Amino acid sequence: MSLAGSSDVRGALASAPGGKVTPPRRARRGSGRRVKRWNVDRVTLFIVFLGLPLAIFLIFVISPFIQAAWYALTNFGGFSPTYQFTGPANFIKLLGDHNVLNAFLNNVILALVVPIVTIAIALAFASAVTVAGPSIGPIRGIRGSSFYRVVSFFPYVIPAIIIGIVWSGVLDPSHGILNAVLTSLGLPFDDFAWLGDPATARASLIFVMVWAFVGFYMVLFVASIKSVPAEIYEAARLDGASRMRMTFSITIPQIRDSIQTAYVYLGITALDAYVYAQGLTTSGPATTQVVPQKILLNLFHNGQAGYASAIGVASALVTLLFALVVFSIARAARGRDEGRA
Amino acid sequence: MSLQSASLDRRNFLRAALAGAVAIPLGVTLASCSTGGGGGATGQKSAKNPFGMADNTTVDAVIFNGGYKTDYVDFAGKILAKEHSGSSVKVKPETKIATTLQPRFVGGNPPDLIDNSGADAIGFNSILDQLEELQDVLDANNLEGTKISDTLYPGVLTPGEFDGKLKALNYVLTLYAVWYSASLFEKNSWTPPTTWDEAFELGGKAKAAGKYLFVWGKEAATYYQTLVIDSAIKEGGDEVRLNFDNLKDGAWSQDSVQKVLTALKKIIDAGYVKPGGSGTQFTAAQAQWSNDQSGLLYPSGSWIENEMKSQTAADFKMTGTPEFTVTTGSKLPQTALRSTAGEPFAVPSAAKSVAGGKEVLRVMLSKESATNFAKTRLAPSIVKDTVPDDAFGSTALASQISMLNAAKTDTFTFTFVDNYGTNTDQLVLWNAFLDGKSSVNELTDGLQQISDKIAKDDSIKKITVK
Repeated sequence: MSLAGSSDVRGALASAPGGKVTPPRRARRGSGRRVKRWNVDRVTLFIVFLGLPLAIFLIFVISPFIQAAWYALTNFGGFSPTYQFTGPANFIKLLGDHNVLNAFLNNVILALVVPIVTIAIALAFASAVTVAGPSIGPIRGIRGSSFYRVVSFFPYVIPAIIIGIVWSGVLDPSHGILNAVLTSLGLPFDDFAWLGDPATARASLIFVMVWAFVGFYMVLFVASIKSVPAEIYEAARLDGASRMRMTFSITIPQIRDSIQTAYVYLGITALDAYVYAQGLTTSGPATTQVVPQKILLNLFHNGQAGYASAIGVASALVTLLFALVVFSIARAARGRDEGRA
Repeated sequence: MSLQSASLDRRNFLRAALAGAVAIPLGVTLASCSTGGGGGATGQKSAKNPFGMADNTTVDAVIFNGGYKTDYVDFAGKILAKEHSGSSVKVKPETKIATTLQPRFVGGNPPDLIDNSGADAIGFNSILDQLEELQDVLDANNLEGTKISDTLYPGVLTPGEFDGKLKALNYVLTLYAVWYSASLFEKNSWTPPTTWDEAFELGGKAKAAGKYLFVWGKEAATYYQTLVIDSAIKEGGDEVRLNFDNLKDGAWSQDSVQKVLTALKKIIDAGYVKPGGSGTQFTAAQAQWSNDQSGLLYPSGSWIENEMKSQTAADFKMTGTPEFTVTTGSKLPQTALRSTAGEPFAVPSAAKSVAGGKEVLRVMLSKESATNFAKTRLAPSIVKDTVPDDAFGSTALASQISMLNAAKTDTFTFTFVDNYGTNTDQLVLWNAFLDGKSSVNELTDGLQQISDKIAKDDSIKKITVK
């Protein structure tokens, strides 16, 4: 497959204007342009650094995408090699399927809440361990900051599914440590199902996801804050700026790119959220059902692979839309700032 | 390389990339459209080889590796190797049946025998066209020379019959009952309830003893759905079952169903169900019954003894009792049972050796294999008379046999939940109901919507149940 792919590329290159047509040298030299001839060295370079990666990308990333988009337009059952083209029937079915729509709503809520909460906490921690230290002497973090940095990174080291299993144990109604602590304090939480009660299930899911992510994004923000010149903070401190003011007027504007990246990453993860939802609330209340669970249900259990593909395509569109919205907002915000400056 | 030529090159690459992006997946899609043939090599049919399995066949069997493990198929494989020298059975234990077998079905090279069971089983209506009819296995003689269909319990073929054709042989006899600890009941001089009113009364006694009547776990909330449907079928007769299985409008509003739901709601509202089940993993919840003994009763299939083996209190004496009726004048007697069979074995038509797959089934249904299964798994297979009177010392197995004997021919089963894969959606509603968060009406509406959605969806193949 990779050979075929690379010969395609080679063919395309050979037929390229620069490859076959050799314009008069002098004219080229006169205009200051120069087209190099194709030699073995260049061709190998292109094959190794472009042809091969491109072929791998096409075969393992793009082709499944297109295949899924095609299946979404068929009544493919998943187990029989025969199927018919049904046009947009699967998408029309999706729009009337309130279980799936509800799962989409849940994912969107997660994509709105999880990044904001995670980033806010991670930013607060990152500021604390870098610039929020004593207001005398050099700009530094609070005492023991390197210790906190390591500790808060721990959750990120644990695989997501383990986090799900551990927390579902902690939140277990009868034998979980949380209810044990709460009841020993005299609170009425005996047998309370944190992950089963519709009132608390979504919040519990969000809490665990935030817990899992905060450490990593804190480390990311710490790295960004370190690249902000300390003089700016010193100048602000001399001007009498409070720590809060420094965060909002210096830290956030200076590391805005990192925040934006973090927001997009977190949002995409929250638009998936499969491992957390499955690990914590397999068949929990309707408020914790997420889209990938519906895809798997239709793909493997209900024998509706075409419909599952349609849900997948819709989910990809929602994800793209999300990234688009985040980037537009960021661009708009930057434009306004630059205008003011 | 100057900037100018770089941009030209990039354009060419994009062009090539686009061409590739269209060509490759198309090729893959087209390739996946072609099917392989099946049937495979066959040998001479004879009394010893009724399906004509070819010499020196290695039968490829993919077996669900769940509560019953897979070595009972290995056991049958050894007998097959003895009967047909040169041939053998290769058993591949698998937990994720659908995920593993999907590409093999689409690619036209499925195994010779599958046990399509477990949480990741393939929905039968999506592979029906690709499965062999197994009627000739029933018509064949077992290794002892008796016709196999004469050796089976009544009603065990039903779950494998689709539109009148036997496409799967469910090997393990499964009956649904309400399970309790005989020793605990004896100590407190309680008797297992036979009607919902008696169950409510027992709930009061349990409360007085600081216990609950029922426990439940989030992934198994629909065990109570099974209890409700079975109970309603006993109360209202066969018509109730047909309305459910054929996805009839208003199936959940049938009078007997509503009576049972109301009775269960009364128990929930009285606080006789251990709270928190919607957040408890189901085996943990089951251990609250079998080990902590904080709940008295648990509705489940007969696999429960095997499943909880390591988490059952010593001297628990697990015993089953038939599910409750609403009144003593129910259409079916209280001793009636939902008796069915689990672990559906099927033979794909495109398999290399269809005859080999069937031959393994024939061996499994013979006396030696079936007795081995009952003895090592403490569960009866669908073959009769393989469990001795002492039931290998298991109270649960003994109670199964006595319930079966008491039910005689009053056995039934329902199949719509398995046929259409509705369990996942129904779980959400049942968790809310058992939690006391929803009313009988809300539950009825929600469950009816799930059935209606399937009934109205033309893209889902319907299985008519008679």
